[in-house]
Amino acid sequence: MNLIELSGVEFAYPAAPRRARPFRLAPLSFGVAAGEIVGVIGPNSAGKTTLIRLLTGIVRPARGEIRLDGCPLDAVDTWDLARTVAVVPQETPPAFPFTVEQLVLMGRYPHAPDRYFESADDRALAQEAMAATGVRDLAAAPLGSLSGGERQRAVLARALAQRPRLLVLDEPTAHLDLRYQVECATLLRSLNRELGMTILLVSHDLNLAAELSDRLLLMAEGRLVRIGVPEDVLDEATLEAVYGCRVTVAKNQTGDRVHVEIAWPERR
Amino acid sequence: MSVVSRAGTVSADVTPATTASPVRRLLVVLGVLAVLLLAVAAAALFLGSAGIAPGAVLRVLGGRAEADSVERVVTLSLRLPRIAAAALAGGALAVAGAAFQGLTRNPLAEPAVLGVSAGAAFGVVTAQIFGLGVTLVDALGLTACAFAGALVAAGAVYLIASVGHGLSVPTLLLAGVIVGVFFSSAITVVISIVDINRLGGVIHWLLGNLAPIPPAPLLLFAALTALGFWLVVGQARELNLLALGEEAARQLGVDAERLKRRIFVGAALLTATVVAFAGPIGFVGLVVPHVLRGFLGQDNRLLVPTSLIGGAIFLLVADTVARNVVAPAELSVGVITSFCGAPFFIYILRTRTRPAP
Amino acid sequence: MSRVTALVIRLLIAGAFVSVAWLNGALVGDVVAAGVTTKFVIKDMHGRELSLPEAPRRIVSLVPSVTELIYALGGEDRLVGRTDFCDYPPAVREKRSVGGMLAPSLETIVALKADLVVATRDGNTEETFAQLGRLRIPTFVAGADRVADVYDLIGRVGRLAGREAAVAPLVARLEQRIAAVRTAVAPYRVPRVLYVLWPDPLIVPGHGVLVSELIAIAGGDSVTAHDADAYPRYSVEAAVARSPEVIVLASHGANIGNVARDKWDRLTSLPAIRAGRVYALDGNLMHRYGPRMVDGLERLARAIHPEAFR
Repeated sequence: MNLIELSGVEFAYPAAPRRARPFRLAPLSFGVAAGEIVGVIGPNSAGKTTLIRLLTGIVRPARGEIRLDGCPLDAVDTWDLARTVAVVPQETPPAFPFTVEQLVLMGRYPHAPDRYFESADDRALAQEAMAATGVRDLAAAPLGSLSGGERQRAVLARALAQRPRLLVLDEPTAHLDLRYQVECATLLRSLNRELGMTILLVSHDLNLAAELSDRLLLMAEGRLVRIGVPEDVLDEATLEAVYGCRVTVAKNQTGDRVHVEIAWPERR
Repeated sequence: MSVVSRAGTVSADVTPATTASPVRRLLVVLGVLAVLLLAVAAAALFLGSAGIAPGAVLRVLGGRAEADSVERVVTLSLRLPRIAAAALAGGALAVAGAAFQGLTRNPLAEPAVLGVSAGAAFGVVTAQIFGLGVTLVDALGLTACAFAGALVAAGAVYLIASVGHGLSVPTLLLAGVIVGVFFSSAITVVISIVDINRLGGVIHWLLGNLAPIPPAPLLLFAALTALGFWLVVGQARELNLLALGEEAARQLGVDAERLKRRIFVGAALLTATVVAFAGPIGFVGLVVPHVLRGFLGQDNRLLVPTSLIGGAIFLLVADTVARNVVAPAELSVGVITSFCGAPFFIYILRTRTRPAP
Repeated sequence: MSRVTALVIRLLIAGAFVSVAWLNGALVGDVVAAGVTTKFVIKDMHGRELSLPEAPRRIVSLVPSVTELIYALGGEDRLVGRTDFCDYPPAVREKRSVGGMLAPSLETIVALKADLVVATRDGNTEETFAQLGRLRIPTFVAGADRVADVYDLIGRVGRLAGREAAVAPLVARLEQRIAAVRTAVAPYRVPRVLYVLWPDPLIVPGHGVLVSELIAIAGGDSVTAHDADAYPRYSVEAAVARSPEVIVLASHGANIGNVARDKWDRLTSLPAIRAGRVYALDGNLMHRYGPRMVDGLERLARAIHPEAFR
């Protein structure tokens, strides 16, 4: 049984005043197996963020059903859901300068929401999570004093502290440098291999997604265009049709890595 | 987990990670503050324009002064109720401030910002002018008018900010400011038509009016403050999570709508209560949580309980100064909190805020 | 820490406050006992009856007008407290001040063992009345909107201060001076008078207040006396439209005479300005309903009818 199963899920945002057409998600059906890394790619307004919102119960589908481990999502308790699915959002606006440790401890909330303070066990788990993403030394540092990469790692530690079965990442490498991209990918892969963590990764970076994912989901304008292994999904014709620009797709010798390159127009 | 990346060097001032029990920390801080509050209250009992000797005050406290003696009436009928009122008002305002700051994710939010103070003040001013001021005023009557005004203002703010299914925080701030401005203008209109002889009294009240409140209303004041405090502190942990953004908080399992409603109601209740019993007093809700944040950090679970006592101390000190600095004349406590609070606040801002890296 | 412990802490904190209130209530339950015997009964200017066990001996006056009256009647030995605004006669400074009129120090009033407080609804606050009521200190409410009221008030203050004998002579003296003013101005035409209580916003005496009656006695026709009650705000236009021939500016402590003059001097269409008949008078003489009311009246009459007093 798949960890996540979507069947015929449709959704539409209420019409915004200046949009010609309201955004609709066409009927989506796919499944994510436990232990998989699935990458969700596609141009802007493809529905990637909406998909995350549907999976975490922030919005409900207008039609169709989402099942988490066989259970319909709206029957799942909010805290149960929070214990199972953790989201690493795109940006964490630090409205108040919490320390890294305080942030990571927040991830323990769904496990004992009735407590006023976290337990000693919670604090130990938070330490582990911080160690895993390498921010343990920064535990007492306020978030505002960290670099972008360090902050992202702190947020990832928070998600890990939730001890989820599914980790959802929304553009984890959006503002970050190359070294961090590699570190992030390595970390995610090790979480997947060693803990069997199911990972859903939304990214603009096709190559990162290709590198990490077992399968890719290509979305455009609310529709599921292709789903499959990276080599199959990342096909020049498909990508050009979806993104509207020219690309070249290179395969390596062993055929298990693909690389997408933008075909830049001629310089004048 | 076997993957550990080394962190780069960090320029911030890093102290070792705190793994000490937060419970103990909270209890220690609360204990210290409680002792400080008792000390300030005791000192305030000895200070006043009646010029009563410390020995006489002690006799009263020991129950050995005769009934109807000057020291007994002054200490028990005048000073003690006023001290209690100042402590309650200060605590309520500080907790309301912390709550609004957490709710709006803005450290500059103050109870006055949400329009509730102005609404309550309008209620009282109108009542004072039209009728309730003619007969000997029943304290409860004016209080009820203040509540009515606060309810109207809070309701207006809530309705304006309720978009679709929930409370929109940015709209809440705007709505609060606008409602506050509306009621302030309404107060100005009332002032401009009021009989000139009453004008002084009205304006005096608008600056804050801490007076010795009789026992029954004082009990009501305390009960309402306790209720508002309970509403806020019960969601202190969730309020922390709200700082991550509503969606992120929801993804962690927080019922964001219920949280916002409860915090808004609690903070509005606290503000309305204070304005009803002590007039509009500004600044406490802004300064006290901010100062405490400098010492204790961002955690609302620490901030809210300590603000209750910290606010009590702050306003008690301000009121004692207001009562005594130009004795026998009395200044309005609002004058002291703003006039002396502002430079103090500037000092705090400059010494405790480091420039962003 | 479990939720239960957190709840306990919260309850403790809340409880601490509630118990303060309760303790307070328990302690002050019957600190101030009510008087039983009522040998001295008097009605105040609002018709409320006050019953005291005996004639008051320690009076605190929160009304400058009444303070002046007490001294004029020679009853100052029964006066133990006054406000900062009670500034006449100079001897009053020897008496202990209880602060301002808006927020007098209740502690000082209690410390002075006052058995009667004289207050006014126009100047003292409701809070003060409420607190005095709570402390069971008898409060005499003073006020006067007409000259007849002033005589009435003198009589009652005389009773309070135990100086009934001095009432009649004082009233007679005042009546005599008022009659003299009436006689002096009687032959002359009554000019239109604008009395400016406060220049900006323009506040003027309306119907039914003492100043309006004084203007009439002084032989003037107050242009604002017929419109509204008490002290309405007027627009300058409306005042100008009445074409006053005499303008009287009341000063209140701080000297605002000159500033106000500039503003009025610009209105050259007014007969008062053209004739240069703008006068500044001491507001304390005009607005207090004490013995110096006749001083104010005389000065007012001189301003309105200089020809009568050459």
